[in-house]
Amino acid sequence: MKHNKYIYPFASLMLAFSTLFLSCERDPNELSPATYPTTADVFIDGFSGDMGYAAFGGSDVRAFDVDTEVKYKGTSSIRIAVPDANDPAGAYAGGVYYSNTGRDLSGYNVLSFWAKASKSASIDLIGFGNDLGENKYQASISGLEVNTNWKKYYIPIPDPAKLKSEHGLLFFAEGPEDDKGYTFWIDEVQFENLGTIAHNSSGILNGADETQNAETGNVFNIQGYAVANLPNGIDQRVDAAPAYFNFVSSDPAVASVNANGVVTVLDAGTAVITATLGNTPSTGSLTIVSSGTAVLPQTAAPTPTEPASQVISVFSNAYTNVPVDFFNGYWQFSTAQTFDLQINGDDVKRYTQLNFVGIQFTSPTIDATAMTNFHIDIWTPDPVGPSTKFKILLVDIGADGAFGGGDDSSHEITLSSSSLSSQSWVSLDIPLSQFTGLTSRKHLAQIVLSGDLPNVFVDNVFFHKVGVATAPTVAAPTPSLPQANVISLFSGAYTNVPVDTWRTNWSAATLEDVSIAGNAVKKYSALDFVGIETVANPINASGMTHFHIDVWSGDFTFFAVKLVDFGANGAFGGGDDVEHQIDFSMPAKGQWISYDIPLSNFTGLTTRQHIAQFILVGQPSGASTVYVDNLYFHN
Amino acid sequence: MLRGNPKDQKTKNPIIHQQSSINTMKYLNIKTLILFTFACVLPAGIIFSLTACKADEGQTLDQRNYKLVWSDEFDGAAGESPDPTKWTFDIGTGSNGWGNQELEYYTNRPDNVSMDGAGNLLITAKREAFAGAGFTSARIKTQGLFSQTYGRIEARLKTPYGPGIWPAFWMLGDNIDTEGWPQCGEIDIMELRGQEPNLINGTLHGPGYSGGNAITKVFTLLNDRFDNDFHVFAVEWGTDYIDFFVDDTLYRHLTPDNLTGEWVFDRPFFILLNVAVGGNYVGFPTTETPFPQSMTIDYVRVYQEAN
Repeated sequence: MKHNKYIYPFASLMLAFSTLFLSCERDPNELSPATYPTTADVFIDGFSGDMGYAAFGGSDVRAFDVDTEVKYKGTSSIRIAVPDANDPAGAYAGGVYYSNTGRDLSGYNVLSFWAKASKSASIDLIGFGNDLGENKYQASISGLEVNTNWKKYYIPIPDPAKLKSEHGLLFFAEGPEDDKGYTFWIDEVQFENLGTIAHNSSGILNGADETQNAETGNVFNIQGYAVANLPNGIDQRVDAAPAYFNFVSSDPAVASVNANGVVTVLDAGTAVITATLGNTPSTGSLTIVSSGTAVLPQTAAPTPTEPASQVISVFSNAYTNVPVDFFNGYWQFSTAQTFDLQINGDDVKRYTQLNFVGIQFTSPTIDATAMTNFHIDIWTPDPVGPSTKFKILLVDIGADGAFGGGDDSSHEITLSSSSLSSQSWVSLDIPLSQFTGLTSRKHLAQIVLSGDLPNVFVDNVFFHKVGVATAPTVAAPTPSLPQANVISLFSGAYTNVPVDTWRTNWSAATLEDVSIAGNAVKKYSALDFVGIETVANPINASGMTHFHIDVWSGDFTFFAVKLVDFGANGAFGGGDDVEHQIDFSMPAKGQWISYDIPLSNFTGLTTRQHIAQFILVGQPSGASTVYVDNLYFHN
Repeated sequence: MLRGNPKDQKTKNPIIHQQSSINTMKYLNIKTLILFTFACVLPAGIIFSLTACKADEGQTLDQRNYKLVWSDEFDGAAGESPDPTKWTFDIGTGSNGWGNQELEYYTNRPDNVSMDGAGNLLITAKREAFAGAGFTSARIKTQGLFSQTYGRIEARLKTPYGPGIWPAFWMLGDNIDTEGWPQCGEIDIMELRGQEPNLINGTLHGPGYSGGNAITKVFTLLNDRFDNDFHVFAVEWGTDYIDFFVDDTLYRHLTPDNLTGEWVFDRPFFILLNVAVGGNYVGFPTTETPFPQSMTIDYVRVYQEAN
């Protein structure tokens, strides 16, 4: 909670005389306050002289006022006007009533007050020990139920001995109820030492005995609470700052714990963190089971090179991943823990205590019918012996989209030590055909990893289709037409005319000159569009009948070629330019395609005497790679 | 332990706890009770004299020379059941929740009634489903094993607490099975509502003054609770009086003249100890009532006046 510096001096509202009210029909809980020193008082009919108020940042700073109309007793009360949701003045009411000088509250065991509200409501947070500083001894109740009747409330002090110089006397934070603001009043706020507050107890970690597997450098924070039985016989729980507790580690060399309940793992071994409040043991403990210094991969897994169009990825930085329900279902009997980490900037899933773990993707399931392989990269610090196994189970949940129903199928592949390695990345790429029990892969929903490796780092989990190369391995067909019938811009079979550039500076593509099977080829990668120009020597193709180009791509889904004639002025623009583009949707991938296009198809190209520009277009835009050869005109 | 359908049992004139009558021996020496007058000072500074605040009449009681005739010190091993030569059990839910719409099922299991190994008997109320009830607890009694007319009957015990918890240390007339209740008479030496852990009631029931019309008196601890420490609850009972004590303080002196019906306290009574859950005297337990809840009884002792 942040604090702003909205500090209000109090008008002195102290009564000129003290009040003493005795009745034989007394409330036995109220018999003692009159004998207490005035430093017990926070607000009776005004604030003690040492006090100030500071509103929390983001709160409505005018939410608090002193009310002389509505009060439980005496002349006035604290009125808190909780704003509506979206009130521009502040989204909630909250602040601290503090003592400038500090008080010794060690003689009291409870902060009490009377409260009512304009409607039934639950005050989000109310307590003491918020001192606008480190809030070392903060104690609070979350969700204090108030209604339209005055009622006395008690906030037990977890360990009064700690409060030797406390500045934080009362604080609260309350937002609207169902977006609606309301008002609550607090009166007769005072610290008391009540014999009717009894049976104090305390706990840490919600009273549970927790075990955490850890390694050197891990840090855990312990939160605590205190409980006291109120004068009405009901237990009141108070969230108590860690500094109230005295924490002890059974082995400080394995895990240390400081006064604020911060546990730091220092070495391999087991340490149990416990606490006492005052002299009484607190319920709950934290057992640290430390494996010591972690052994991590020093390099990232190899970046996959499969084209994205051939991949359905579950987990990889190289691809867009499908939605995944979870990377660890924390299934019954699974001890696996999952951590996200980065190795050299690459996201990796880390599994520890892995006996088995489920990765699930049901929304939607994966249709891998077009895929051929399952890929996963793993790295383990664990030794790989002759009998070490690692298992991968794939599960298809069938057309009903649900587990069970009689249409599920699955298969588990067991990888032996020959496929595994310690402390190096192993890329497992398994043909889906080996998952013989997986009779369908149209509704894949789970990957289950198991085996003898308790520590496994996982990366690049995907299904992909192999058989589609990313580059041609053979040269394009060699043209057979005689030179005399050809005007060639780029071909090893002909003498080529001069070309200004094979990649204008306004192109969106990367150009490499590569050799495929000894044949020079233009490789355009990251292709959106590329311009090729012959402005210095425009081509007169008026005697030609066809435009020819050989292209090869492993990943394009669209290809186009555009021819531009710059006209008689030989320059771009000038009103005499003509052009035409021919599109090819879903061209065949992984093979040379020889486009031999009649120039008559370029209907917009009304003249072809001054052809100076060729534009090639590929999709996915900026992500396609196209190899080009044998670009020429012929008749 | 009230039967019937009591309404407001709280006296309007609770007497203040004071230490003026002290007995340091087993033989009680009652001195005077102090007459209290409360002056109420209002904030405006006007002083009212509240005549409604008048306490009981002061009185002087003769020393009574008591000798121990029966006791159970509950010194058994942890988990041991009460001595069967001294105690018997009420089991089940009785008729209409033992006449009070109580919610517990009484058992004789050590879970509900057994020694703690430290010199005490624990009667423990638990929140658990059992034989159709939502709670279990125990009620032990000396009926058929021991009863007595007159004397001092006392127990040193620590009460349980929490809304809907209703511990009691009490007596019933031996003739309950022949003459019925309230004709048999009932002496409630201590009963407490768990939502008011700092006050107990001492009560007489009999013909014409039972249930909501019983003769009752509240004793309040100031800034303390009956579950913080052990307290001794006792009655001293003679031919024409029953005096109620908490520790060494007499807070109620009743004679036949104080009753609105027949004085039936002239025959043997037996002793009961129990922790009820819910019922029309104490109200329902809530989800906030801490369970389990034990009444911790150090001893029960019975004296007779020696001549």
